[in-house]
Amino acid sequence: MNTGHSAAAAEFLSDANRAAWHDQALWFVRQRRDRATDLPEWEALRDRAAALKAHAMGNLAGLLEAFEVRATAGGTTVHWARDAKEHNRIVFDILRQHSATRVAKSKSMLTEECGLNPYLAARGIEVVDTDLGERIVQLAGEAPSHIVLPAIHWKKEEIAALFHTHFGTPADESSPDALAAAAREHLRDTLLHADAAITGANAIVAETGGVVVCTNEGNADLGMHSAPIHIVSVGIEKIVATLDDLGVLLRVLARSATGQPITSYTTHVTAPRAGAEMHVVLVDNGRTARLADPEFRDALHCIRCAACLNTCPVFRRTGGHSYQYTLAGPIGAILAPAVDLAAHRSLPFASTLCGSCKDVCPVRIDIPAQLLAWRARVAAAGALPNGYAAIFSRLGRILADRARFEMAGRWARRVLRFVPATLLAGRWNPWTHAGRKLPVAPAESFREWARREGRVE
Amino acid sequence: MIARAEILAAIRAADVPPMPAPAPVVSPADSTGLHEQFLRTLESVGGTGGICQSMQVVEEVVYTLLGPGRHAVVVLPGRFAVAENGAVYVDADDLANRADVVLATELVLVVPTSAIVATMHEAMRLIPAGSRCGWFLSGPSKTADIEQALVIGAQGAKTLLVVFRD
Repeated sequence: MNTGHSAAAAEFLSDANRAAWHDQALWFVRQRRDRATDLPEWEALRDRAAALKAHAMGNLAGLLEAFEVRATAGGTTVHWARDAKEHNRIVFDILRQHSATRVAKSKSMLTEECGLNPYLAARGIEVVDTDLGERIVQLAGEAPSHIVLPAIHWKKEEIAALFHTHFGTPADESSPDALAAAAREHLRDTLLHADAAITGANAIVAETGGVVVCTNEGNADLGMHSAPIHIVSVGIEKIVATLDDLGVLLRVLARSATGQPITSYTTHVTAPRAGAEMHVVLVDNGRTARLADPEFRDALHCIRCAACLNTCPVFRRTGGHSYQYTLAGPIGAILAPAVDLAAHRSLPFASTLCGSCKDVCPVRIDIPAQLLAWRARVAAAGALPNGYAAIFSRLGRILADRARFEMAGRWARRVLRFVPATLLAGRWNPWTHAGRKLPVAPAESFREWARREGRVE
Repeated sequence: MIARAEILAAIRAADVPPMPAPAPVVSPADSTGLHEQFLRTLESVGGTGGICQSMQVVEEVVYTLLGPGRHAVVVLPGRFAVAENGAVYVDADDLANRADVVLATELVLVVPTSAIVATMHEAMRLIPAGSRCGWFLSGPSKTADIEQALVIGAQGAKTLLVVFRD
C-alpha cells in the first residue's frame, strides 16, 4: 500500500547518519556532473537534445515503422506490447519456445515497471540481474532506489553481510574491490551460461534499426553476445531518428548521469550474430496516453540519466524508496501520477519547486512546471492528500485578500514572539516535529516598516 | 498485429505537432592536439595509451606500457578514436566473436594513427553503413555501485590499452 511520500520519508530519515551520507554521496555525483558538462557547447547540446526528442515524438509512428523495417531486414524479430502484461507474456513466450530457464538480465527500468522478474519467477524462470547494483538489491529482495545507482542506499558493510550469505565471502570483507571481485566471479558464470539475455535500451535508432545499450560494467555485452537469445525491452519513446541524433544523446547521457564523458561500453547492434536470435519488444504501457496530453508530453523526452535525482534536495534527503514508484525523484514524481493518480498523489508535492532539476536536465524537461500542473490535476480530481484541501482553501482566502493577509501576518508575528516556543513546537506541529525550527519573528512586516518610514502612499 | 496497429493508431491520434529535424551542432573545427586530448581523457577513464614510433612494433609498446608477464592479452583492431571521450570504435565485422570485447581480461586496441576525430558528431558519420554490431569502448570495465567507490574490472576488461599505429 502506498503510504505517501512524507510518511515513507520519515522512515528513511529516522536513521539520520544514513540520510546525511546518502545526501553527500549523491551531491558528489552532482558535482562530477558539473565538471563533466563544462563544455563551451553544452547549452547548445541541450537545445539540440531537446529538439531531437521533440522531433522524434512528433514523428513517432513513422520512426517506429522505419525502425521495424530495418531491424527486421537485419534478422531481428520486432514485437509490440500495449501494456506490461502483454510485454511480460511476449517475453515469456519467447523463453518458453526455447525452453530457457536461466536468464541474465542487464539494467532495465522498463522491466521493473512491468514487473517482469516476479512474472517470470512465478513461471519457473530464474532471472539474474547482472548489474552489480541491481544484483545487490535483487539479493536483498528490494527494488532499485535510483535509476543509475540502484544500490546507492546500501553501505559496504551491509553488502559484505549480504554477499557472505549468498556467495560465502568472509563476513568482514567489506572492501569494494573484494566485493566487486566476488560479484564478478559469480555473475560471469551466470552471464556465460544463461539460456537467454534480456537488456533494456538507452535508445533505438530508426535510421539503422539499431539498439543502443550503455553500461560501465560490460554486463549487457557479456550476456547478449554469449546467450543464444537476446531480448530487448524498450519503451517506444526511446527512439531517435538518426545516428547523428544518437551522437548528441551519447554526449549528454553519461556526462549528466555519472560525470563520465561516455560509458565504458556503448553498443550499437542492428542484427543478431550468426546462429543467435534477437527480439525487440516495443512497449507502450501508458506512453501513448501521455503523448496525447500536451501538458505532460515532454516528460517522454526523459533519457533516464538521473541528473534530476542527484541534484534534488528532496530526493537526496529522503531516498528513492520514499517515492514508492519504479522511478524516483523529480522525474518519477511527474511520471507516476499519470500511471495512478490516487496512489501517487503525494509525489507532486514532494518538491520545493526550486528548479534545480530543470537546470540540469539534458533534454530540458520543465519538471517544476509539470509538478505544479500535476498538483492542479490532483486537486481537480479531489485527491489532495489529507488536510491539504482545508489548508489550501483557508490559505487561498487569506492570500487573495490584502486586509486578511495583513491581519494574519500581525497575528502570526505576535504568536511567534510571545507564545512560548515549547508550546509552539508541540507534537501537534508537523513543521517542528520533523526537526525544523520556527523562524524568529520580526516586530513588524516590510509593509509596516515602509509605511512608518513614509516610503509608500 | 493488433497491438502494433493499436499503438500506431494511438500515436497518430495523439496528434503531436510535427517538429523539423534539428540542425546539426557545429563543433569547434580545431583538429590539433587530438591525440594528446584522447590519451589524457583515456587515462581519466582508467585506460592507458601510446603511439607507435616509426619502426616500433605494437608488441613492444604493449610490453612497455603494460609491463612483463602479460599472457592473457587480447589484441583487437579499432576503426577510429574519439578525442573528447577516450573511446575507440570497434566493429563486429573485424572480430571472430562479438563477446571478445568483454571476455578479454586485458584488452589492447590498435587504431590507425590518422583515424581520430574530435567529437561524437564526427564519430557517428564514421560508423560503417550496414554495420551489424559495433562498440564505442572507453577505458576498462568499471563500477561504482558499492558506496560510489570506483572499482576497475567489474565484468569485462581489467585493463584497456590503446595503441596508435601508422
